Amino acid sequence: MPTVIVDGIEVAIEKGERLNGIQAAERAGIDIPRYCWHPGLSVVASCRMCLVETGTRNPDTGQIAMVPKLVPACQTPATDNTVFVTTSEKVLQSRAMVEEDLLIDHPIDCPICDKAGECYLQDYHFEHGQKQRRADIRPFTSRRREMGSTVTLFVDRCVMCSRCVRFTREISGSAELMVINRGSDEEIDVFPGFPLENKLSGNVVDLCPVGALGDRDFLYKQRVWFMKQHDGVCTGCSTGCSILVEENQDTVYRLKPRENPHVNQWWMCDEGRYGYHHVHSGVRELEVRRRADSGYQNVEWAEALTEIDQKLRKAARLGVLLSPHLTVEEAYLLAKYARSIDTQALVALGPVPVVGEDERFHNGFTIRAEKCPNRRGVEEIVAHFMGRVATHEDLLAEIAAGGLRGVWVSGGYKAPSLDADTAARFDGLEILVVQDMFSSPLWEMATYQLPGAAFAEREGSYVNHADRLQTAQWAIRPPAGVRVEAGIYWRLLGGAGLYKARRVLDEVADTIRYFSVASRPVSPIGVDLKANLLAAATP
Amino acid sequence: MTPFEPILLANVGKPGSHTLAAYEATGGYAGMRKVLAEMTPAQVIELVKASNLRGRGGAGFPTGLKWFFLPKDHPGPIYMCINADESEPGTFNNRILMEDDPHQVLEGIIISCYATRAQTAYIYLRYEYPLSYDRLQAAIDELYAGNLLGKNILGKEFSLDIYLHRGAAAYICGEETGLIESLEGKRAWPRIKPPFPAVEGVFRKPTVVNNIETACCVTQIAARGVDWFKSMGVPADPKNPRDPGSYGPKLYCLSGHVNRPGCYEAPLGLTCRQLIDDFGGGVWKGRKAKAAIPGGISMGLLSESELDTPLDFAGPGKVGCLGLGTAAVVVLDETVSMVDFLHNSCRFFAHESCGQCTPCREGTAWSLTMLNRIRAGKGRLKDLDLLLEIGDTMGIIPGTTICGLSDGAAWPMKNAIRKFRGEFEEYIRRTNPTGYMETAAVEALPVLAHH
Amino acid sequence: MSTAERILTPEMVAAIKDYFPRYPTRQAVTLPALHIVNERLRCVPLAAVVEIAQLLELAPAQVQDTLSFYGFFKQDKPHGLVRAWVCRSISCALRGGEEVLDRMCHAAGTHPGETTTDGKLTIEFAECLGACEYAPCMLAGKTLYKNLTPELGEKFVAQCRAGNGQEPPEKEINGPIVAGGPAVVGSAATNGHRV
Repeated sequence: MPTVIVDGIEVAIEKGERLNGIQAAERAGIDIPRYCWHPGLSVVASCRMCLVETGTRNPDTGQIAMVPKLVPACQTPATDNTVFVTTSEKVLQSRAMVEEDLLIDHPIDCPICDKAGECYLQDYHFEHGQKQRRADIRPFTSRRREMGSTVTLFVDRCVMCSRCVRFTREISGSAELMVINRGSDEEIDVFPGFPLENKLSGNVVDLCPVGALGDRDFLYKQRVWFMKQHDGVCTGCSTGCSILVEENQDTVYRLKPRENPHVNQWWMCDEGRYGYHHVHSGVRELEVRRRADSGYQNVEWAEALTEIDQKLRKAARLGVLLSPHLTVEEAYLLAKYARSIDTQALVALGPVPVVGEDERFHNGFTIRAEKCPNRRGVEEIVAHFMGRVATHEDLLAEIAAGGLRGVWVSGGYKAPSLDADTAARFDGLEILVVQDMFSSPLWEMATYQLPGAAFAEREGSYVNHADRLQTAQWAIRPPAGVRVEAGIYWRLLGGAGLYKARRVLDEVADTIRYFSVASRPVSPIGVDLKANLLAAATP
Repeated sequence: MTPFEPILLANVGKPGSHTLAAYEATGGYAGMRKVLAEMTPAQVIELVKASNLRGRGGAGFPTGLKWFFLPKDHPGPIYMCINADESEPGTFNNRILMEDDPHQVLEGIIISCYATRAQTAYIYLRYEYPLSYDRLQAAIDELYAGNLLGKNILGKEFSLDIYLHRGAAAYICGEETGLIESLEGKRAWPRIKPPFPAVEGVFRKPTVVNNIETACCVTQIAARGVDWFKSMGVPADPKNPRDPGSYGPKLYCLSGHVNRPGCYEAPLGLTCRQLIDDFGGGVWKGRKAKAAIPGGISMGLLSESELDTPLDFAGPGKVGCLGLGTAAVVVLDETVSMVDFLHNSCRFFAHESCGQCTPCREGTAWSLTMLNRIRAGKGRLKDLDLLLEIGDTMGIIPGTTICGLSDGAAWPMKNAIRKFRGEFEEYIRRTNPTGYMETAAVEALPVLAHH
Repeated sequence: MSTAERILTPEMVAAIKDYFPRYPTRQAVTLPALHIVNERLRCVPLAAVVEIAQLLELAPAQVQDTLSFYGFFKQDKPHGLVRAWVCRSISCALRGGEEVLDRMCHAAGTHPGETTTDGKLTIEFAECLGACEYAPCMLAGKTLYKNLTPELGEKFVAQCRAGNGQEPPEKEINGPIVAGGPAVVGSAATNGHRV
């Protein structure tokens, strides 16, 4: 097995793996500082922060021959017997010099800069920088110019790593960002009249190692050290980007992509990134209500659930619409609950929101037209219970034919999923439970209105367009008055203790073959459900 | 010393020297015809390798070896880029060759392209040489008309197009991969190496970048042979098997405080003092030399006592200079303030730094800031130590930058301060009697104008 | 955009397209295109950059990126009818180039890079013009002026402002040539340099 030696630590790499010095060092638990290198972009080796010493070890004699000059770790291949030294005097001095160079003309903006707390310049200064300022002192604050509707630029904070420019040329292909001027006068800019307006624009803020590029949505909203990060999955479309949900005291402030080589690499689209504001919308439904002749009356959860259970049993002939916004676990539990009352209960896939066409970018990243995270997962659950993928049209047909008396419609939609005409076709049921975040024509017809959870409040799994199952953690508690669907279904099924998604996923994996791979612990980047199906298919 | 009969400059000064007729009348293109008729490309590479010709653009890399690095059996296209961006302060020999003997240049290019199987050659010409542009273009047109360029030259299976590509006043376009990026239409940020241009150059194809004077040497080697070329210059050090020696004639540019600045041809190995006294009429105004730049400002400074240094590829390095560079000597007389000299140098490099990598972009700017402050009478002794530290840590020699511009920026700082430290200290003490000893960081000079 | 509003004339577009066959990419025609426009308009306005980008199938930002690197192309308004580059590098500085530049700017009433109010003259500083044997020297148009003094520089400014946009003849402005070497052996006419 090829071996790389980093600071004396042996790192085994796979034959044929193409790693650079930074990646090899990572495996040895050593972090080589860098600004311009990013695994998703071309290598430019311009920041010079990652300079290390390198050499080769003679495999026969064990003797090490070092190259006399420093080399950028980002552009040095790590192959068998490559030696890296990252802590020698020469390396440390070079890092301190680069850091000092970047601070010479850097504005004194930390107290007013969003990036404080997650800034490479700050962090590397503390870890690797000079003890004292030696360059002339000229305190100033940065100029600011807008790049577009999503991104702003604090011009003088820029360290010229060129990540943002490379992103717009290599990833989004839109080439809006440019460098202007030469030498120490260089700045980032957009061409007048051609602002940064592409659907991946928010990624450049993630890429910026300092506080030069700012996210206009997040600007000045929260200090990063107050926020907690939770692994999540974007629910904007069926691509299912891995994300981080960042919150403080139950308010979501920011979504960021999480690295997932199988789904989104390091990116997410703006629709997904900025698509969390509905979670804290002032018009979210927060109260359980029961329909009466005089209008809707507020009810306590416990009372409402008891009544609902009784009325469903009385109705006997049941149907459930499983929203493609529900997690796998939730969809399964709701279907199981319905079937526990009516063994013939009609389990159907809720309306699937589709907007426009799939949109593919320069590097292959795709924003999908299917604007929900879990149609595949819910489909398979429906198929398990029904033997086929029944849709909401099938359920409406059953209602019209008089075959259903009680229906539970689950939600999680950002906008009404059914128009008024379609909603009207739900009329005449003994009991209609509508569970969702926002009012809609159907909501106004419900016998029981149950306020539903938003994605950031759910814990559970989603299956994306490519049959990859990923599990999201819950990030915030729902607003007072709202209970997460999963907990309710768990309670209705007589489950003891707190709802834990993993326990339900175990049952789903044991019960439904499509999900069988998920019986093993699911890694943060998910699991390909097809893998086992292919294996299972082989006799 | 016996007068040297110019070869590279033989045609310069004659009426109509830039025309095809005049060039052919004195034997021009005979070498090329012979090469095309009697030699294979591989044999031409061997010829140039055998001559130990080293590039005249500043780096001194053996030309034949550079050609040899091209991948064999590459489907092509292979490109030749001729570096006519001559911008190293003090240097002007390429200009003279292009203006007054463009056909010698073109003959060398054609032979080089034949050897390297390049079918397209771009002459990257600095915009500040309008006469060179006109003369070269006219000469190229004459060659197309005479079937010495274009399809099937002289009826052979060798086709070549030569295009002039004009720059826009940026020194870094004289750097090999900076030139390539500029030619491709982008900002001239030099590329990281590897890959080297021979493998992946302009338009991502194998490319050779050669200098104008180098091309002329190729012309003369083809015409007169390897033995002639190696009959002059400084032989390789027998104790060092890797030393290619310093063979052949060299065009020396002489300027600054001399009576007769000009471009003079002599075998490699002429000393600085010989150039100044025998060719340049000595230091002007009856003064003495204080220092001299040996090979373009990037190479640093020779002190007066070092003027007997031979100007070959090995000489200047032995007295702490960066190397021979472009062999452009600039003489500073005894009245020159080294502070003024260094300020001029730092200003040049700060202006020309491409800005891509941190140590150069910030280091050249920082150096200029300090020199401005020193000149304004607010310098500190500590500034000298900082300038030396910046100089010692930036460049491709320590490995901290992508290209050699920063080495060029560093060497004048290192040489000037180390060889004339007393003068710098005296200036600082005298002009800043109350602050010269300060070691903590001081307030920056206010920026009044920015141009 | 109607033809009347376009900055690039059909002649300029044709001249730019003439360069296409020379290179395997359109992007390589960027500098030639910038020079073609600049030589006719004495500047490359932002609107021209957009049109050049369209021709070369690039984003305007890519062309502007390259343009702004060089510090050579003016964009807000045309440079003077005469654009004079006075060298400030070491060989010229050693022989009084800075004083020439200062005196010329003073005479013209401008800073380096600025244009006189009558639009006739822009004085710029240049880095080494590659004519160090004629230091201090200056390049305007295709003419190289040699061995200048501050007085000759002032004379140049006066002639530009009195003139019709042509560079003054070299022989009116040159100081005594001191360069040696074959390039100046014999009369100026025989070595091909314009007089």
